[in-house]
Amino acid sequence: MRAVVVGAGFAGSLIAKVLGDNGFRVIVLEAGAETGHDEAVRAFRTALVKTPLAPYRRTVAAPSSDYLINTGPFAYASPYLRANGGTGSVWVGITPRMHPEDFRTADLGRGRNWPIGYDDLEPYYRAAEWEIGVAADADEQRQHVPVAGGYVYPMHALPRTYLDHVVASVVDGASIDGHELLVTGTPQARNGVPTTGYRPDGNRCAGFASCVPVCPENAKYTPHRTQKRWSPTVELRTRCVANRVHADEFGRVTKVSYQRYEDDTTGRHTRHEVEADVVVLAAHAIENAKLLLLSGLANSSDQVGRNLMDHPALLTWALMPHPVGPFRGPGSTTSIEAFRAGGERGTRAPFRIEIGNWGWGWPAGSPDTDTAEFVAAGLRGRALRQAVADRVGRQFTLQFEIEQEADPANRVTLATECDALGNPRPSVHYDLSGYVKDGLLAAKRVSDRLFELLGAEDHTSYKPDDERYFEHDGEPLRYWGAGHGGGTHVMGSSPRDSVVDQWQRCWDHPNLYAVGCGSMPSLGTSNPSLTMAALALRTADHLVSRRAGLLAEPAGSRPPPR
Amino acid sequence: MDAFVELSAELTGFSAEELRSTGLVEQYAVLARDASPAEIIQLWYTGVWRGVVPSARAYAEGLAWKAVGVAAPGTAGPGFGSWERRPRSSAG
Ligand SMILES: Cc1cc2nc3c(=O)[nH]c(=O)nc-3n(C[C@H](O)[C@H](O)[C@H](O)COP(=O)(O)OP(=O)(O)OC[C@H]3O[C@@H](n4cnc5c(N)ncnc54)[C@H](O)[C@@H]3O)c2cc1C
Ligand code: SF4
Repeated sequence: MRAVVVGAGFAGSLIAKVLGDNGFRVIVLEAGAETGHDEAVRAFRTALVKTPLAPYRRTVAAPSSDYLINTGPFAYASPYLRANGGTGSVWVGITPRMHPEDFRTADLGRGRNWPIGYDDLEPYYRAAEWEIGVAADADEQRQHVPVAGGYVYPMHALPRTYLDHVVASVVDGASIDGHELLVTGTPQARNGVPTTGYRPDGNRCAGFASCVPVCPENAKYTPHRTQKRWSPTVELRTRCVANRVHADEFGRVTKVSYQRYEDDTTGRHTRHEVEADVVVLAAHAIENAKLLLLSGLANSSDQVGRNLMDHPALLTWALMPHPVGPFRGPGSTTSIEAFRAGGERGTRAPFRIEIGNWGWGWPAGSPDTDTAEFVAAGLRGRALRQAVADRVGRQFTLQFEIEQEADPANRVTLATECDALGNPRPSVHYDLSGYVKDGLLAAKRVSDRLFELLGAEDHTSYKPDDERYFEHDGEPLRYWGAGHGGGTHVMGSSPRDSVVDQWQRCWDHPNLYAVGCGSMPSLGTSNPSLTMAALALRTADHLVSRRAGLLAEPAGSRPPPR
Repeated sequence: MDAFVELSAELTGFSAEELRSTGLVEQYAVLARDASPAEIIQLWYTGVWRGVVPSARAYAEGLAWKAVGVAAPGTAGPGFGSWERRPRSSAG
């Protein structure tokens, strides 16, 4: 059985592992190059602006998200990386499960329902948590999501930050608009103290505080870990950009074309093809859509590229009355879950609140900006040192992840402009609905109340010349991209209005799968990669059990593409 | 060299000894030959010289981080769970 997986990122690495373990011959085509761990750490330290993609080797032939063209009223603001390991190298490693309600967003809020429910995914959540190594406490998680009885996470919950303790001591038990507040540990894909039977890969988290974009300690999960465990039947081909998937007249996929380059600085390349019994696209939500559009496949529903979602994040920032020791340890170890579910999602987008431990680094570029501000104000010597210590030492940020509903008008299409290999660049039309904006505004109001409870000095400000600034109901607002792109090959229960079925198999092609957040009909309010990983493992199991059928399945047993 | 260290100490609020312990005095003295006071402070505090980070050490030794009493992110691991402790008084 020959499988071709396109993309050696988060989802692709997981699927390739299960297929390889089960005797498939797997070829993994990876568009990007490889960045050594030490090389990435060094590049991070000397990068002027420590953006998420800064540490990684980039190539002219396979550009990352910066080659995307925005055409809509708002900018799609989330990066993704095309390099071995993909955006899964860059991520923070926060791994909450979705709330059961999130699978029924059309019924309860806006957007689309899933063809499966939380219970269908629960065993795969557990499998994914053990595969990538998640630290959390089951009893604590049960306070807001149903975790199976008797289940233990592979690692105990990570210690909370000092800031978390300070926040919890004030807000636990308090209420805002009838929501009782509770600071809850966030599951984390970084190494802590193992529970029985788990052998962590990499070192224990030592608090380097640079999980995004690179963990010097190898404490955070990245797809490289899974790749190390690939069986010898899995072959990785880097610097190979898939640019077309071919199907026969009955819709069966037969082969993948790709462009191979050696020189990272030009678009010079050679052309190749590889035949396959089954093809799994795992190139990231936006690139999967691009590749399907480019191939003219899987689109009888006209939904390929549509329903693009992200978590528009609202950041608010303030000073605590006393020093809290920011920039020590992981970016966020707790959250407030009280606004994720419930009747309000019928009228405005729900949200999750992460307690951000890296000062004002994300929203305001601290501490460089604080230093510049004080220097401009004429502070010198001990007064300057004191001012920086006092300001930065008390900083914290609240990160609200707002649900964005699937909207077919938010979409990826092929631009007329091409990249260095001659392939069309992705074009994105992105907008925020009234539902999302109402959610952002509600989040801002909750932030005001939280700061009041904490006695914190609010320094949040959104100005018209800031990027992604807008006004809603007369109030200034701003959003940030959380990096959670999804929806672009949406899963559903009918070929009429969705691209893949519940197994992430393209309705139009019996042996073509598209995996990743692109399959998700809703993102809910949780960072999506754990759910994506659970789906990937579920699909891998399905492929293994369908192995015979994959070869034998008569062409035409599914509707041919129109 | 001593003049540069003295000037830097006066501008940054860190002692000559603290500055020398960064191992950056020689490099910075050359770089900042004709720099303004604000540029000298920026170099010491943030490790940025006219839009460039001259070395990984310049980033790691940024005085803004030292003022707060923490390591520059990605340069040192204070140990598992260290983030749970009350921060040492941040005053320098
Ligand atoms: C800053 C940041 C922080 C994040 N933090 C979190 C978090 O804390 N929690 C969470 O759940 N999620 C987080 N995410 C999201 C997470 O990174 C993504 O959900 C996840 O990586 C998506 O996995 P994927 O396999 O679909 O794509 P990727 O991991 O991006 O992998 C796709 C792979 O396909 C390759 N590829 C692309 N095109 C082609 C082609 N034509 N041919 C061959 N190969 C190709 C790419 O090079 C890449 O290696 C974060 C994202 C960002 C940007
Ligand atoms: S806090 Fe540091 S050691 Fe822990 S995961 Fe993040 S970068 Fe790695």
